[in-house]
Formats: sequence, C-alpha cells, structure tokens
Amino acid sequence: MPVFAQTDGTADDDIDWSLYEDLGFEDESIKRYANAKIEGLSPAKLISLGYDFQGPYGITPGDLNRADGSTVVGGDEMQVNSTSGIRAEFNLPVVSQTNLVWQMGANYWNTSYNYAETPSASDNPLHQTLSEHGLRTSGINTTVYKPLDEEQFILFQGSADMSGTYGSSLMPTQYLKYSAAALWGKRPTEKKQWGVGLARTYRVGELNYIPVILYNKTSANNKWGTEALFPARVHVRRTINPRNMVFLGYELQGQSFRMYENLPGFDLRDEDLEIRRGEIRVRAVYEFSLKNFIWMSVQAGYRINYRYDVDRLVSGPDIYRAFGLIDGTPDYAQLNGLTNPFYVNVSVNLVSP
Amino acid sequence: MIRKLTFLAVSAVIAFGALSFDLPQSTEDPGDRLIGIWEPSNGRSRIKIDRIGNKYYGRVVWLIEPNDADGNPRTDINNPNPDLRNVPLRGFRMCKDFVYQGEDQWSEGTLYDPNNGSTYQGTITMRDINTLDMRGYIGVEAIGRTDVWKRLKMPSKKK
Repeated sequence: MPVFAQTDGTADDDIDWSLYEDLGFEDESIKRYANAKIEGLSPAKLISLGYDFQGPYGITPGDLNRADGSTVVGGDEMQVNSTSGIRAEFNLPVVSQTNLVWQMGANYWNTSYNYAETPSASDNPLHQTLSEHGLRTSGINTTVYKPLDEEQFILFQGSADMSGTYGSSLMPTQYLKYSAAALWGKRPTEKKQWGVGLARTYRVGELNYIPVILYNKTSANNKWGTEALFPARVHVRRTINPRNMVFLGYELQGQSFRMYENLPGFDLRDEDLEIRRGEIRVRAVYEFSLKNFIWMSVQAGYRINYRYDVDRLVSGPDIYRAFGLIDGTPDYAQLNGLTNPFYVNVSVNLVSP
Repeated sequence: MIRKLTFLAVSAVIAFGALSFDLPQSTEDPGDRLIGIWEPSNGRSRIKIDRIGNKYYGRVVWLIEPNDADGNPRTDINNPNPDLRNVPLRGFRMCKDFVYQGEDQWSEGTLYDPNNGSTYQGTITMRDINTLDMRGYIGVEAIGRTDVWKRLKMPSKKK
C-alpha cells in the first residue's frame, strides 16, 4: 500500500516546519472542542455478532410465593449443562461533528438453558420456564457526546430494553425497561479522560440509581491503559500493538426479565413476575484485527452470580430498594441460588474508523 | 427620465462586472479551494493540502507532540508494513489522491490514521470555505466517521 511515498518533489530538509507552529483559525469565531476519544483507546464496535457460552452450574429455586397467597415449594438443585446464546449489537453514528456526536444502536441477546434433565411439570416453574423459553433481550440505545469546550464534555447514554421469556413476538411495550446515564467529564490530555455522573440501571437485576465514574487513560508509551465506567465495567488494557489488545477486568451484566410465557397448567403471566438477574463477569479479553476493520474478540472468565431472584411487579411499577436501604419495600417472591461457572464469549466485530 | 434610467442601468452593469472581476474563485479551479492548512478536530496535528496534477494530497506539517517519549522525532510506528515504521510523521502524507467532483466534494482518495495504522476510503465535503467534513469509511459511506477540519491562516514567511 504505497501510502507514504513523498512525490511532490519537496525535500523535507528544505521545509521550515516552524512556519506552521503559531497559526490561528482563518475564521476567528471557531472554537476547539474536546475530542470524544483518547489516544490508544480500543476501537468502538459498530456491528458485533457473538456467541456466549457458560459451562455447567446448578440452580436451586426457593419457595415461590404466588399472588393468591399460596406457595410453590422450591425443590432441589437442578443441574444446567450449559447456558448459551447469540449476542448481536449494532451501533451507527447519526451525527459526527466536532461539537456533537450522536449514535444510535440496537441489540439482541438470547440465552438458552440446557438442563441435564429436562424439567417436568412437577419441578419448580422457574426451571420449567428457563428450560422451555430461555431469556431474551431486545433493545435500542442512544449515546450523545457533547463537548463544552477544549476540555469539558457531557455524555448521555439511554436505552430501552424488552427482556423476558417471550418467543418470536415481542411483549407489550409496558414491559420495556429504561436505563440511562448522564456524566460530566474532562479530557485534560490526549491520553486521559474522566467523568462523574448518575445512572439509572438494571445491571444488578433490579432498578437502581447509582453514581458512575468514567476513567480512560493510556500510558505515555501507549502500551498500557485503563478503560473504566465504574461500577459497570473496569478493564486494564495491554496494547501489544494497535491491532492486538489484551484486557483484564470485570463487567456487571444484568437485566429484569419478565416471566411472560405461560406454562402448561401454570398461568405464569398473571403472576406478574420478573427475574432480577445480575452477575459479575471476571474476565480476560483478547481483541485483534482479523483484516482491516474486522476484529475478533475472545473472552474467557468466571461468571459470579449476584442475584437471580424473582420480584412481583403488579401492573408494571418497579420496586426501588436502594440495596435494602429503603424500609417497607416488598419481599422478593422467590429467592434463588446459582453456582458459578466458567464462560467464554466469542464475537466478530466491525469496528469504527 | 429615460436617459437617467439608462445611465443608472449601465452604471450597475459596470459595477457588477467590476465586482465579479474581483472574486478570486472566478479565475481559479474551484477544486483548489481545498488547498490550505487545516486542523483536525482533535487539534493534535495540522495538515497542508496541496494539489499535484489534478489530485489533492495532505501532509502533516505540525504535531502537538513532535517527539516520542525518548525525545526522538515521532515515526509511523503503527504502520502495518514494518519497513515503513521509521518514516517520520512530520511531513507524512496522510491524505491521498482526492479528486474534485464538483459541488464542494472531493472523493476517490484515502485517509490514513497513524494512531492505528489504518487506511480508509475518504470523501471531503466543504461545508463552508473554512470548514471541511472529512469522512473516512469502510466499503460504504454509511459505516464511517466524519471529522471536522478547520482552515488555519497561511503562515507568513520568517525573515
């Protein structure tokens, strides 16, 4: 690729580079703005198609308190051989200007539960619905980056997700879950940006409002870096070269899944139940360029269960517990236990220029 | 009265003709409006765009950090071709082969990003005489990123 041939006949030795040092804008009203990226950051994924696989683990359901006041006894632990599904994400820039970056995206996640022994009608409905329907999330999201000046910026992220045990057709929009985060930040150098803000999130399963901290930094020699949006995810980056990067860290993943599809002999939909799933994924990730802008990401790690409990949400309104700090909030309808498996995730990505 | 109106009309035509004569674009190739010194949105570099033949090329003429951590002039260390990693970044041609297509657009060229050693297909749109939308993309223009470049004043020769 002959990109570098200098063919204009001007020898570099003859050029007085100092001429270009102190130049103002031709239009003096123009302002400089903080760039959305920093040097050395891993490339943003425009399109991502992946597959997630969790190894064997056990699920022990607790007693399910039904809406009519009766109780379904929890039962024994059942073994899940694997949990797997596709992960598809799309992000496309809508506006990409010096003073505004706006991106829209969509995502689809599917999780199938492969039980060692297929649950029967005598088993807990949690086992039955996971085995029969699995979990799905379909969502849309948006990100707006607004620089205020050469250093300061505002970042907003919002999403609407439909998560549940639905099949080929979606659930009613009343079951959409809205998440958002707003941050104010600074980009003091080309290799560092940080920000603080507030998020409305379902990452630990149930609704929470939590402070968030953005911190991205690249070392002076570009070999090391930190990519963090605490507490959602934190990674240390080792840049082998700009096309090969290794990450160590964790990500919180979770959502509230509506138990929407009925089971034979059990009208689950009328119970108004949601699985509050939250998990911590401690992991190592290797991302590399396969060819040009087609990258592959391979991650392996340990999935640690944080919550897999079931809430009753009658008529939709959510329950805000503030990690148990708010007195008088309803008890969970079912408290469940999960053991923790190793997992792998592989994706092919089209990354942003 | 008619004589007065005729005089006014002739005066207006002469004045308009003189005004048109003063417009610099009227005597230049309209594609040459791209020629100049430009600053990408991150402010880390300045690019001088020149015309060679009927194509336009941009080379790096200034870097906010001209030297690496060891104090040596920065080179294209991320180039996928190892033989070219010693090429100095200052003086480096990062925009190549753009051809003016009319209607304030230049295309058929490539943009090179020394931060990751990637080369993109590119189009340039002149939003106004001092602002360029530089779009790098992969295959189709929809999958890409636009950076806004601003025109800088031309340097005056040092004595």
